[in-house]
Amino acid sequence: MSDLLQSLSVSASGMRAQGTRLRYLSENMANADTPGFRRKTTSFIADRRDGAVAGAVRSGGVRLDQKELPQIFDPSHPLADESGNYIGSNVNLLIELTDARQAQRSYEANLQMFDQARKMTSSLLDLLRR
Amino acid sequence: MYTNLQIFQLASGQALHASARQTVIAQNIANVDTPKYQSMDIASFKPDLSNSKDGFRQRTSRDSHFGTGGGLLPGSPEVQRAITAQPNGNSVSLEAELVKSAELRQKHQMSVSVYKSAMEILRTSIRR
Repeated sequence: MSDLLQSLSVSASGMRAQGTRLRYLSENMANADTPGFRRKTTSFIADRRDGAVAGAVRSGGVRLDQKELPQIFDPSHPLADESGNYIGSNVNLLIELTDARQAQRSYEANLQMFDQARKMTSSLLDLLRR
Repeated sequence: MYTNLQIFQLASGQALHASARQTVIAQNIANVDTPKYQSMDIASFKPDLSNSKDGFRQRTSRDSHFGTGGGLLPGSPEVQRAITAQPNGNSVSLEAELVKSAELRQKHQMSVSVYKSAMEILRTSIRR
């Protein structure tokens, strides 16, 4: 039974990590048109205890994508320089949407594992009933 | 009392194995997007029935022996050899993990049902 409870907490850590990732993705998408915005990325880290994988996962710190910011030609833009260009953001909406879909799938898989562990726990508890 | 009956031992051993395996699979699925994570699994449930006279304990001839393989307790998780890996070095296949979890769910259900019906038989035998 303690194994199943641990399984619940591992699945919950997976869902939390995917949720954090989705938050960064939506920040990126919301700022797709913000001049000078660099897209945020995060990488997952498996928790380790004494060198061995402990089970849970967490999202590592946020990093800024170092890809070059594009020069966009728009002389009417308030931030445009004398040549008529301004610095845009390096967010690619297609990548963000694909990433968001992947995060959703992984979240669903974690949710399914959570539900299964919960059902197994309750079937064990049903043994107490007559 | 019932723990000495082998059917209860077997059923709870399999339930224990299924829940340990569930933890490992939940761990794999939680780490499905972690770079360099390698998929893990527990060896399948194989109780040693040859020595059924004194339960399922493994025969030990020295003090330093302690029974692990073939016993009723689930083994420790081991890294699986990767058939395919993603570009980031992750070897978890979501489909394979879901198949494994469906399988263990069935086994868990089976062992709980066996436990329940064995309990029913015991109850009938003491007329309650």
